[in-house]
Amino acid sequence: MSLEEVAFLVLAVVALITAVAALLVRELVHTILWIAVFFVDISAIYFLLQAPFLGVLQLGVYAGAVTVLLLFGVMLTRKRIFSREAATGVDAVPLALALVTFIFVVTSVGELPQSSQTIQSYDPTLLSQNLFGVNGPWLLLLGLLMMGAVAGSIYLVREGRE
Amino acid sequence: MLDGLYGWAFLVPLFTALSFVIVGLAGTRMRRLEWGGWVAVAFAGASMVVGVLIGIGEMVNPGTYTDVRYTWLHLAPAPGPFPNGFSLVVGTLVDPISALMLIVVTVVGFLVMLYSIGYMHQDRGLPRYYSEISLFLTAMSGLVLADNLLEFFLFWELVGVCSYFLIGFYYERPSAASAAKEAFIVTRVGDIMFLLGIFIYFYHYSTVAPGWAANGFLFTNGTAPYLGAALGGNSTTLTIAGIMILGGAAGKSAQFPLHVWLPDAMEGPTTVSALIHAATMVAAGVYLLAVTSLFLGFTSTDQLAIVGIGGFTAFFAATMAVVHPDIKRVIAYSTISQLGYMVMAVGAGFAMVGLFHLFTHAFFKALLFLAAGSVIHAVGTQDLFKMGGLRKSMRLTAVAFAVGGLALAGIPPFAGFWSKDDILSAVYSQLGSHPAYWPFFLLAFAAVFLTAYYIFRAWFLAFSGDHARDPGLAHAHEGPWTMQVPLVLLSALAIGAGLLVFLPGFQSLLLSGAGASGIPPVYGTTDLVISAASVTLGLGGIALAWLLWGNGRVYALPETSAAQPVRRLLLKRYYFKIGYDWIGAKGVYSVARAADFFDRYVIDGTVHGFERMFALLSDRLRRIQTGVVSDYAAYVVAGLIALFAILLIVAPYVVARLGGG
Amino acid sequence: MTALPLVGFLALSSALFVVGLFGILTRRNFILVLIAIEIAMNAAILNFVYFGAFSSGTGGLTGQAVAVVLIGFAATEVAVGLAIVLALNRLKGTINVAQATDLKL
Repeated sequence: MSLEEVAFLVLAVVALITAVAALLVRELVHTILWIAVFFVDISAIYFLLQAPFLGVLQLGVYAGAVTVLLLFGVMLTRKRIFSREAATGVDAVPLALALVTFIFVVTSVGELPQSSQTIQSYDPTLLSQNLFGVNGPWLLLLGLLMMGAVAGSIYLVREGRE
Repeated sequence: MLDGLYGWAFLVPLFTALSFVIVGLAGTRMRRLEWGGWVAVAFAGASMVVGVLIGIGEMVNPGTYTDVRYTWLHLAPAPGPFPNGFSLVVGTLVDPISALMLIVVTVVGFLVMLYSIGYMHQDRGLPRYYSEISLFLTAMSGLVLADNLLEFFLFWELVGVCSYFLIGFYYERPSAASAAKEAFIVTRVGDIMFLLGIFIYFYHYSTVAPGWAANGFLFTNGTAPYLGAALGGNSTTLTIAGIMILGGAAGKSAQFPLHVWLPDAMEGPTTVSALIHAATMVAAGVYLLAVTSLFLGFTSTDQLAIVGIGGFTAFFAATMAVVHPDIKRVIAYSTISQLGYMVMAVGAGFAMVGLFHLFTHAFFKALLFLAAGSVIHAVGTQDLFKMGGLRKSMRLTAVAFAVGGLALAGIPPFAGFWSKDDILSAVYSQLGSHPAYWPFFLLAFAAVFLTAYYIFRAWFLAFSGDHARDPGLAHAHEGPWTMQVPLVLLSALAIGAGLLVFLPGFQSLLLSGAGASGIPPVYGTTDLVISAASVTLGLGGIALAWLLWGNGRVYALPETSAAQPVRRLLLKRYYFKIGYDWIGAKGVYSVARAADFFDRYVIDGTVHGFERMFALLSDRLRRIQTGVVSDYAAYVVAGLIALFAILLIVAPYVVARLGGG
Repeated sequence: MTALPLVGFLALSSALFVVGLFGILTRRNFILVLIAIEIAMNAAILNFVYFGAFSSGTGGLTGQAVAVVLIGFAATEVAVGLAIVLALNRLKGTINVAQATDLKL
C-alpha cells in the first residue's frame, strides 16, 4: 500500500470513531471535544484529496465557528455545570433503519471501479474562478440565505418571547 | 235521447266525492243540526238520479258501449318494449253490465244513506261516517264505470280501504278494530292475486294482442269488447291469470277459503253492513268475474274452478247460518251463500244471469239488513234468542223482513225467485257438456232448502210468539220516517225487481251481455221442473222453520244428540278462523321473527362491524402521531428505505419483465 | 500523483451518513441532534469532493465549488438550529426533544 492509502485508512478510522463517540458519550462538553476532532479529521481528508482550500475552509468554519457555536449552545442551556444531559442507549428500530440504509447505499459499490485511481490537483486560482464565475449565482444565494438566517435567529431568541 | 247522458256518467262518482270532501272537512260544524247527513243524502240522491237515468237509458236501448276517456299518461313511440308508444287512460264505460250495476249502487246507496239519518242518530263521529260512506259510494261507482283494468283495480283498492274504515267505525271496540284489520288483510290476499292476474294478462297480451297493454288495458276498443279467449294465445297462461282473478274475486266476495272476514265485518254499523257487505262491495268480486269473462276471457279450466268455488261456498255458508244466534251474522252468511250462486253462474258462462241475481239480491239483502237494523235499533240487542213477539209492536219491520225472506228463499213472485232460478237453470243446461259441474249443482240446489230454513228461523225467532224471551228487553217501536221509507221502497223493489224480467228492454239487456260469451242464453225458457223443485224446497224449508221455531217455540237440540258435535262445528265456523289465526301466529310470525333476527344481527351486524373496524383502525393509526420529532424522522427514513427498495429492486425487475415480454 | 481507492471513500461517507442518521433518530438532547445533522452533512459534502476529485476535466473544480457553498450552508443551519434550541429552552425549560410534543393530537 502506498502512503496515501495508509493515510486514508487512518483518517477514515479516526473519523468513524470520533463520530460515534460524539454521539455516545454522557457528558455534553465531551461531545463537543470529540466533534471538534472529527472536523479536523475531515479537513485532513480534504487535504488528502488535493483540495487545500477546502481543507482550510473546513478548519476555519467547522472546527472554528461551528464548534464554538455548539459550545455556546451547550453553555446557555445547561442547568448546572457538568451535568449529564445526553441520553444514552441504543434503540433497536432506529439502529435497524440506519443499518438498512447503509446497506442500500453501499450496494451500489459493485458498479464502481475497485482499484485505486489517481486524483488531480488544482490551482486555487482556477477554483476561485470557477466558484465566482460559473457557480457565482449559488454563492449569491448562499449570501441571501445567510442574511435571512441571521434575521430569523435574532427574532427567535429575542426577549419578550414567552 | 238518454244516451246523451252517457258522456256525463262521471258525475255519479263526482257527486259523492264532493260530499266526501264537504262533509269530511266541514262536517264538525254541521253537527248540531246534522246537516252533514243531509248534505250526503242530497249528493247521493243526485248520483242516484244520474245513475238511474243512465241505467234506464241503457235498458231501453241496450247493447251500446260508450267510452269517454282521458289519457293521463302518454309515452311517445320509442325503441323498447312499446315501439308504438304507451298510454294510460282514465274514463267511464257505459255498457249493459255497468248500467245494471250502476242502478244497484246508486239506488241502494241513496236509500241506505237516508236510513242512516235515523239509525245513526245518537252516534258520535257522524261527520266521519257520512264522509266515509260518500267516499265508498264514489269508489264503488267509479269501479262500476271503470273502462280499463288499471282504473278498475284502483277503485277496487279504494273500496277495500273504505270497508276498513267503516268496519272499524267503532274503533274503540277492540273487536271492531281487529275485524277491520282482518277484513283488509284477507281481502289483501285476494288483491295480491288480482294484481298478479293483471301482470299475467299483461304478459299474455303482449304477445297475442300487443295493442291492449299499450293502449291502457282497456276493456273495449271503443265499439266492442276485447275477448281473450277468442284471441287465442297460450291457454295455460290464460288459465293461471283466470285463477288469479278468481282469487281476487274470492277475497272481495268472501268466497271459500277467503270467507272468514265477512261475518266479523258485522262489527260495523248495520247500515254499513247493508250497503257494503250485502249489496255493493262484496258484489264487486262478482262484477270482476263478469267483466273478465265478457271482456278478457276465461278458459274452461277456470270456469270449472269458478263454478266449484261458487257452488261449494253457496252450500258451505248456508250450513253455518243454520245455527247462528246473531241476527246480523245469519244475514251475513246468507250473503256469502248467495254470492256463491252468482259466482257459479258467471263461471258457467252466464255472466248476465249472475249479474241479474246480483241486481235482485242487492235489493232484498239490503232490505233484510235494514229491517234487522230497525229491530236492533228498537230492542238494543242482536241475539235472536232474546227477541220474540216483535210483530205486534213493529209491524212494518216484520212485513219488510218477511218480504226480504221470501225473496231470499226464492218464492215467486218475489224477486229472488226469478234470478235464482235462472242461475239454477243456466248451470243445469251446462251439465251435459260439463259433467264435472254435477256435485256443485247439487250443493247449490240443497242450499235452497237451507236458505229458506235459516232466514225464516230468524223471522220466527224475532217476530213470532207473544212476548220477548228476554224480559229485560227494551220496549220496541218503529224507527223514524227516515228509516221506514227505505224499508218500504226496498220492499217494493224486492218484489218488483224480478218482474223486470218481463220487460222486453230488460230481456235484450240480459241477452246482449250474454251473447258475448258465445253461449246461447237460457233465459226466458226456464226449465219448469227446476223451478217447481226449488220452490218446493223453499216452502219446505219455511215449513221446517215454523215447526221448530214458530209460535214462540224454541227448539233445543238434546244434549246427547248425535247432532251436537255437528252443531258445535257449525257454530265454530268449521274452525276456519282458528286455523287461519294459527297459520298467522305460528307461520307468518315465525317468518317475521326470522327476518327480524337476520336484519338485526346480520345486516345491522355488518354495519356495526364496519363501524367498529373503522373506529379501531383510526384509534391505532392515531398513535403514530407521538409528537416526538425523532419518531417522525424514523418514519421518513423508513419511507426512504422503501423508496430505495422500489428503485433498486422492484423497478429493474419490472423493467426486465416488461422489456422481455 | 496520489492514487486513492474510490470505493473506500464511498464506504466512508456512507458510514458517516448512517452514523449521523442514527444520531438523529435516537438522541433526546436537541444539541446532540444538531451535531448528528452536522456529521451527516459532512458526509454528504465529502461525497461531492471525492467524486469531483476522481472525475476528469473540470469535475473536480465543480465538486469543490459546490462543497464551499454547502459548507457555508451547513454552518448557517447550525446557527439557526441553535437559535431554535435557545427558544425551545426558554419555552419548555428543557431541550429534551421528547418533551416538545405540542403538535401531537
